[in-house]
Amino acid sequence: MFLYLPYNTFLHRLHPATKLIGLILLLVVTVAFTTPAEQLPGLGFVLGLAVLSRSLSNLRRILPLVVTIMLFSSTTWSLFRRVGVPFWSFGPLSLSRESIQYGLAMGIRLDAMLLSGMVFVSCTKVEEFAFGLRALGLPFPVSFALSLAFRLVPLFFTRIGIVVQAQQSRGLDLQTGHLLQRARKYVPLLVPIFIYAIRDTDLLAMALESKGFGMRGTRTEYLRFPFGWRDAAIIAALLAADVIAWSGR
Amino acid sequence: MQPLFHIRDLSFTYRHASHPALHGITYTHQAGEFTAIIGATGAGKSTLCRCLNGLIPAFIKGTLSGELTILGERMTGRPVYDVARRVGLVFQDFEAQLFSTNVELEVAFGLENFAVPYEQMRDRVREALGRVGLTGFEGRDPSTLSGGEKQRLAIASILVSRPMILVMDEPTTDLDPIGKRDVFHLARALRQEIQGIILVEHETEHVLTADRLVLMREGRILADERPQELLSDPGLLETNGVRPLQTTVLLRRLGLPTTGLDVDTAFHIIQDAGWRADPAAVARLHQPISNLADHEPVIDVNAVSYQYDAGPAALDAVSLTIRRGEFVAIIGQNGCGKTTLVKQFNGLLRPTKGSIRMLGREASSWSLAELGRRVGYVFQNPDHQIFANTVQEEVAFGPRNFGLPEPEIDARVVEALQVVGLRGREDEDPFSLTKGERQQLAVASVLASDPEILILDEPTTGLDYHGQRSILDLIRRLNQTGRTIIIVTHSMWVVAEYAHRCVMMQRGRIVADGDIRESFKDPARLADLALEAPEAVRLGARLGVPVRSVDELYGCLTR
Repeated sequence: MFLYLPYNTFLHRLHPATKLIGLILLLVVTVAFTTPAEQLPGLGFVLGLAVLSRSLSNLRRILPLVVTIMLFSSTTWSLFRRVGVPFWSFGPLSLSRESIQYGLAMGIRLDAMLLSGMVFVSCTKVEEFAFGLRALGLPFPVSFALSLAFRLVPLFFTRIGIVVQAQQSRGLDLQTGHLLQRARKYVPLLVPIFIYAIRDTDLLAMALESKGFGMRGTRTEYLRFPFGWRDAAIIAALLAADVIAWSGR
Repeated sequence: MQPLFHIRDLSFTYRHASHPALHGITYTHQAGEFTAIIGATGAGKSTLCRCLNGLIPAFIKGTLSGELTILGERMTGRPVYDVARRVGLVFQDFEAQLFSTNVELEVAFGLENFAVPYEQMRDRVREALGRVGLTGFEGRDPSTLSGGEKQRLAIASILVSRPMILVMDEPTTDLDPIGKRDVFHLARALRQEIQGIILVEHETEHVLTADRLVLMREGRILADERPQELLSDPGLLETNGVRPLQTTVLLRRLGLPTTGLDVDTAFHIIQDAGWRADPAAVARLHQPISNLADHEPVIDVNAVSYQYDAGPAALDAVSLTIRRGEFVAIIGQNGCGKTTLVKQFNGLLRPTKGSIRMLGREASSWSLAELGRRVGYVFQNPDHQIFANTVQEEVAFGPRNFGLPEPEIDARVVEALQVVGLRGREDEDPFSLTKGERQQLAVASVLASDPEILILDEPTTGLDYHGQRSILDLIRRLNQTGRTIIIVTHSMWVVAEYAHRCVMMQRGRIVADGDIRESFKDPARLADLALEAPEAVRLGARLGVPVRSVDELYGCLTR
């Protein structure tokens, strides 16, 4: 994926299926808790993983998003959730100690989810992601199509950039006009972009076919991730965390 | 001896097409042969390539008759993967045929599909990367490679499956001179290990090393000879949309045998026949090509630097003055900053540092729309901008955006179509035009806004010789009527024959800038930049005449 960071940490070396299962188990833990005190260790754990996988630089890139989510979800939940004894209220809005706590917990939960996803994509290549999905039983064409989608996004954006510049050179102005006028201005962009999308996918399909993509029967895999004791230990530990978190609720 | 492969009476018509793309092709390829295929756009070259590896008829639908056999085994009607194991196909567009996130995985993809055991895969990937000179690139993201490296990676990803036959469909069209050179070196070296090589190519001088040269026309094989024989007929090549060697064109005009294909042989033939430089004609050459030194500057670039986010500087303190009426060619390798520079001229990009004056005013004080109207920009690929239902509407788009009154727009459209030669085709669907005509349409759509300066990015790429000549002659006419022209190109004969002035760039800087004759005088300097002057210029140098084209050279010889 385009956020992948090419380091060789132990998180990078984990079996991709371990990372996928681990990510899901981690998300399940964060859903178990509803107070900031319970949520914070989870967030701390995710940050620890980020340090271990050297993906802090990627987390920094989405810092504005992290802050926005935190502010937005803690204020809205605090104002709208009716729990405890409100010490302030105005129409449908109210604030109580419990609702503020709940709001903060929700903010931390969403951030922990976002950040753990970010750590995952920082240490997993698209091909490894697809490999992990296959290891979990997804058929090859489906996993490959998923990974290809990630690959096509940047290519598509490059094409869009060129078309926008070509039309701007001919005086296309996307800034002015009311909504309907502006919508109409997208036609000169959409037609070439659409044609290119068709052409690119057609060429890509031919390139894939030419490399034996349509072949039936078993394939071999160039990637090889031995499933080691680390993988087993990590899944066991996260599973235990899930059981404890959910039974303690 | 059993041939490596044999095509018998092969015809193919694309679904929904009215004419066959291939028409009764019969061809036999012996093991060890290297065949180059040439021909105009639409001659059926790519269609033939796609028949060879089974994409036709298994993947691309249509009506097929005839058959293909490899070592006596019938291939027609088999699934693509079955044929593709024996016949590898490399496409022209290297962007669209690469899809992995690192070089190693890209190469391994075919092996995985063909179920090669894991133990062998590593060795074969390493071997294939070594073969194309990409050892050490294993972990790189293909999108960070240069054009030439990408195309060699595409070749490695095919080689790794060890096909018997390697088919390359215009692998160098989008490459700069260095990238082209590397791919041709590779193609020649591969003759040692691949039994059959088929190369579709536009550049005539590169097909000389092939064993056979096949000329296609309208879906048929028109000639199948040794390159030396076929290339010595410049008239035949030219009528079939292939650029003839300049040496043979000159020899023919001098009434000499056209067997001198390379500069050295041609030089001896000319000398032995008693032709020599005419001092009076040579003296006339030394007058400057254009006398524009007293014209006012229309573009004045002052120490401009430009940086894309988080990259190295794409332009590094570039200064340049272009005067009204000049015809300037900007050359240099892919990624040297050519396009970044010209995009500053019409405001698509704005300098990170330094300043530009356009038409006597600070560029920063013009809006993109104001600049766009005065500085026309024709993008490399016309299909990046064509969208309208009719030719008329397409050309009217620019002037309408710039707010011209309707009667004037109509007049402008008529004029622009007249200039590019598409008058009378106003109601046609732009997508039904040929690639060459679409390129002309793109020029017309920019011309209609009546720009004083016209920038063209790679105007000849993807066109056959006929298409290239018509767009270049059009650009020259526009220049002669007073417009300032700036082209970005890799094609040296285009630079030599059409431009007045040549600006050479390297790593974001201008490394040479001057009159064409001056710029092309020093072969060593050009070689430093991985460039080579066209044959006519080199032949002229041998004869002591600093010419730019065959016409000039012919005019300077006397007996």
